[in-house]
Amino acid sequence: MKTLKLPKSKLDFFAAVIQQFGEVHAPVARGDEFAFERLERWSDARLDYNRTILPPKKYFLPPREEMFTYTADGYVPSTEGLDQKLVLFGVHACDVYGLNILDEVFLDGPHPDPYYKARRRNVAVIGIDCIPDENCFCRSMRADFVDKGFDLFFYDMGDAFFTLVGTALGDDMVLSAASLFEPVAPQDVAAYKAHSQAKAEMFKLDVEIRDLPEIFEMEYTSAIWEELGEKCLACGACSMVCPTCYCYDVQDTVKLGECAGSRERCWDTCLFSSHARVAGGENFREEQSDRIKFRFYHKQRGFVAEYGRPSCIGCGRCIVSCPVDIHVVEVLNRLRGVAHVA
Amino acid sequence: MSSERKRIVLVDDDDDFAAAVTAFLELHGFEVHRAADGRSGVTLAKMVRPDLVLMDVIMGERTEGFFAVQNLRRTPGLEQVPVFVISSVYSAEPQFKVTPERGWLAHDEFFQKPVDLPALLKSITARLGGGEGALATNPGTIK
Repeated sequence: MKTLKLPKSKLDFFAAVIQQFGEVHAPVARGDEFAFERLERWSDARLDYNRTILPPKKYFLPPREEMFTYTADGYVPSTEGLDQKLVLFGVHACDVYGLNILDEVFLDGPHPDPYYKARRRNVAVIGIDCIPDENCFCRSMRADFVDKGFDLFFYDMGDAFFTLVGTALGDDMVLSAASLFEPVAPQDVAAYKAHSQAKAEMFKLDVEIRDLPEIFEMEYTSAIWEELGEKCLACGACSMVCPTCYCYDVQDTVKLGECAGSRERCWDTCLFSSHARVAGGENFREEQSDRIKFRFYHKQRGFVAEYGRPSCIGCGRCIVSCPVDIHVVEVLNRLRGVAHVA
Repeated sequence: MSSERKRIVLVDDDDDFAAAVTAFLELHGFEVHRAADGRSGVTLAKMVRPDLVLMDVIMGERTEGFFAVQNLRRTPGLEQVPVFVISSVYSAEPQFKVTPERGWLAHDEFFQKPVDLPALLKSITARLGGGEGALATNPGTIK
């Protein structure tokens, strides 16, 4: 993988130049929180952010989108916005990891999702390293480093960014502003290694995931699920902010009398009582305890069986968004029998 | 020649420069609207719907004009409006060596400050058409 160095003093110039590759979106402050939004000026970018309210998922799987319109004669796919070129500037490693998980579901399966595929092709991703806060546990989920899923990735080396080039598009971006970059020297590599080691020691949350699927098997009837079911409000906030919750509902809007309509999909969550309700009124997960249990099992056990890794990335968004303080690491550690959060 | 003057939005935070360019262009028959920063320049362009935009780069921020140009290009109805950048960015920021031809100003034009006003006028009239008429027109007679 090609590596370069970009002096921090030139980062704003680089961000300005790469606008030729697409509309630049980056984390900006929204009150005390952050959100990925289109940049109107460089100073709006907050690359020191901890996490955005919504993950980059919103660019690839919008909260609501029209899939197609139809008449009695057939259907027309809705393509508005699919060809829009964007550059997401400042995506954390865990969120890139989350996109890689979505890729497995929406790109790599037997039926690739054409909407997701088009957006993934047209949205460039520039990653940036981060400092974990008290709610981060991406290192536990092996999501604190990514070797794919980005076009460029910046590591903060003090007065410069150690830059990994991930794709041909990333290389084109660098070449478009080649005079801003410098070659990497041996001391830069040493600084990168030292930084990587130092970051590893900054995490305050930890959870062992090695045999977690097996522990989930053993704890299927644990009282903890009833306890969580009593506590959970089923608001769905944890799913909405989750980088890898990809469930959606599909609804038709029919134009009465015209033999025509449109089909939309919108984010859904297994925490909603309607999620597992089927025709006839039956519900596979009638109780809230069943639903929150399902969410944990899908993330930590079912996804491992299907794809070889949990779909939780350890970003901490569900921790900070839960109105009743359900804490995923505490739940996992309680299941494991660890008394305290390490 | 159309009796309606061509509209130009000038975005520059230098009052003296803006006043001089405005006077020069108005003298040659153009209607000039001015904003002093990138964000208000984009807002002004949305309202005025100009035929051409003159944009500085270094304003409140040294890359402000770069972002304003891109925001203009991605504003519905303004995607095709010609943008001429007039800036001292290459002399004021010698570390910035990415030329406009490298893509950041593709299809538009760059003028180094201090600007050669006859050359600027020639490019504007060439781009907007009706330049000869504008050049020969006394602004006092334009409706």
